[in-house]
Amino acid sequence: MVHARRGGIGRYYDVNGWLFVAPALGLIALFMIYPIVWSLWMSFQSGRGMMMKFAGFANIVRLWNDPVFIKALTNTMTYFVVQVPIMILLALVLASLLNNPRLVGRGLIRTAIFLPCVTSLVAYSVLFKGMFALDGIVNSTLEAIGIISSPIPWLTHPFWAKVLVIIAITWRWTGYNMIFYLAALQNIDRSIYEVARIDGVPAWARFTHITIPLLKPVILFTTVISTIGTLQLFDEVYNLTEGKGGPSNATLTLSLYIYNLTFRYMPSFGYAATVSYVIVILVAMLAFLQFFLARERDR
Amino acid sequence: MDIFARAHLPRIAALALASASSLAVTAAEAKEITIWCWDPNFNVAIMKEAGARYTKTHPDVTFNVVDFAKTDVEQKLQTGLASGTADALPDIVLIEDYGAQKYLQSFPGAFAPLSGTVDYSGFAPYKVELMTLDGKVYGMPFDSGVAGMYYRKDYLEAAGFKPEDMQNITWDRFIEIGKQVEAKAGKKMIAIDPSDAGLIRIIMQSAGQWYFNKDGTANIADNAALKASLETVGKIMAADIHKPVAGWSDWAGTFASGDVAAVVTGVWITGTVKAQPDQSGKWGVAPIPALSIDGATHASNLGGSSWYVLESSAEKAEAIDFLNEVYAKDIDFYQTILQDRGAVGSLLAARGGAAYEAADPFFGGEKVWQNFSDWLTKVPAVNYGIFTNEVDAAVIAQLPAIIQGTPVDEALKAIDAEVSTQIQ
Repeated sequence: MVHARRGGIGRYYDVNGWLFVAPALGLIALFMIYPIVWSLWMSFQSGRGMMMKFAGFANIVRLWNDPVFIKALTNTMTYFVVQVPIMILLALVLASLLNNPRLVGRGLIRTAIFLPCVTSLVAYSVLFKGMFALDGIVNSTLEAIGIISSPIPWLTHPFWAKVLVIIAITWRWTGYNMIFYLAALQNIDRSIYEVARIDGVPAWARFTHITIPLLKPVILFTTVISTIGTLQLFDEVYNLTEGKGGPSNATLTLSLYIYNLTFRYMPSFGYAATVSYVIVILVAMLAFLQFFLARERDR
Repeated sequence: MDIFARAHLPRIAALALASASSLAVTAAEAKEITIWCWDPNFNVAIMKEAGARYTKTHPDVTFNVVDFAKTDVEQKLQTGLASGTADALPDIVLIEDYGAQKYLQSFPGAFAPLSGTVDYSGFAPYKVELMTLDGKVYGMPFDSGVAGMYYRKDYLEAAGFKPEDMQNITWDRFIEIGKQVEAKAGKKMIAIDPSDAGLIRIIMQSAGQWYFNKDGTANIADNAALKASLETVGKIMAADIHKPVAGWSDWAGTFASGDVAAVVTGVWITGTVKAQPDQSGKWGVAPIPALSIDGATHASNLGGSSWYVLESSAEKAEAIDFLNEVYAKDIDFYQTILQDRGAVGSLLAARGGAAYEAADPFFGGEKVWQNFSDWLTKVPAVNYGIFTNEVDAAVIAQLPAIIQGTPVDEALKAIDAEVSTQIQ
């Protein structure tokens, strides 16, 4: 009987199910799949503004010869290589410190550290710009306590501008990653730590040999999320440098370059689409890496 | 069903009534013209004045002047044009002259041609030329960006210089004076934004060159004027007589707060300079310093912009008539905007007006407008091309290296290499 029902009713249910998801699927197709396919088609076209024509692989050749693209790619990778490890480590340390049940006021401190990531990207960038101006509060404080003798040109020197962007995104996203670790730490059995303490394992070794290995899946997850976020970095740089990625293209990111190619320069929609596919490929490669590492862990 | 209808009927009825009455209001009253521009002390205020004049004679037309940052205007416009949605666009938009051809060429049909309505023979020819494409003229010429050197008389006096010492100097002399001002008055000579090529463009055009040749091809590697401009800015920065700033508001803040002794820029800054009444009488205006190369002059240009009507605008006819009535015919309007805002218009007939002859007490009674008018006629004509933003970015990218002592020829080669991939 059960078998008999399956044929007719089962199909009936399937049709209904598809009808229910059809509007959502239609919208996804219209607003996600269609633009993705269209931008792929666009990446093979070139031209000025709306005057586009098919150009084959001309845009890819242009990528190789474009020093600005290379610069943007290098900058993006620099942010990724420098900032992501700093932030992940900082978030881990903060999470394990704040996981200590004997710490007074940890709810308040947790909230304070998490708070930056609910602030508006634009608002905090504008605020950072003011704070890190040549005669801003950061320079005057550093000068007052005698760390530096002349103000640091945060926004006008290529090196310091990069440092500023890294400071800004670290401030914004450390708390966000910390929350993941705090949640994961709740799932680690207290008795493991007790055993380690009884065996005389020092605190630092407990952190590196118990906490980090047990958090590995979460660390992997946050690393990939942060990687994608860094590869798509746009708001902070745009607002800190008035959309120019300056000084000297030192803070230009791939996303900002795409924006400039589309909206600031002579509009090259085709070439901009090509650059955006570079990000797609980078993200895909890193996601593949995550799957690879996760599979290895299961074995 | 019944409950639904009873609950919603009154609301629906009210809605219908409201939309009917608002329709009636629209029919009887206003057509609103939306305008995008970017400087509250300058073109925004001027457009409001122009709107007020037009509304006096045409009470059925009102104006909504929207004030964005300049880059936001350009980027919103470009987004709107690319998406093809007319709803996202204004009726009239202000476009800086450097970008005019870029928009006209890459978005054909987006702007309404005004030739046929407007008599262009009354305007400065260079303005008309830059808005002409395939025999049609598209914009309403607005202000000129003739450049001048605004300087603080009090700071220079403290350093031992009189206004005569500032007239017709070279950039080398400017740097010498800057060192004295720094030593004796404790002020930086000039504010420089290392991610803005405006000053470099001013200096380059004063010697009759631009990023592009007359035919639109890149003119970088053998451009003596560009080379000299880069060297000059490099020297200023190496001499440490400048205050580094980041962005327009930071830059404008340096002279509002009295941090710098001189400002070299377009005449449109006058409104912003005069926005500090307590500095009245302390400012003077001199021609910009000159390079020491062939073809060097004391006259140049920075920016300047014109009004364009969108082809898709619902109020296209009113917008064109408005621009034609005020900007092409109203001589008195030009006197007002000159006195109040320092706008040197490009309608030639306006130059005969009384305001151009007047002395300005803010500048210690100098006849500044007469001077700017004179300099305007001497500005070397160049072809702005369509890739100014791209080359600007390439030039800015090389500035730090130049300050650190990289030979300018090498920097020019790097700019040339970058530009050749960018302009296509």
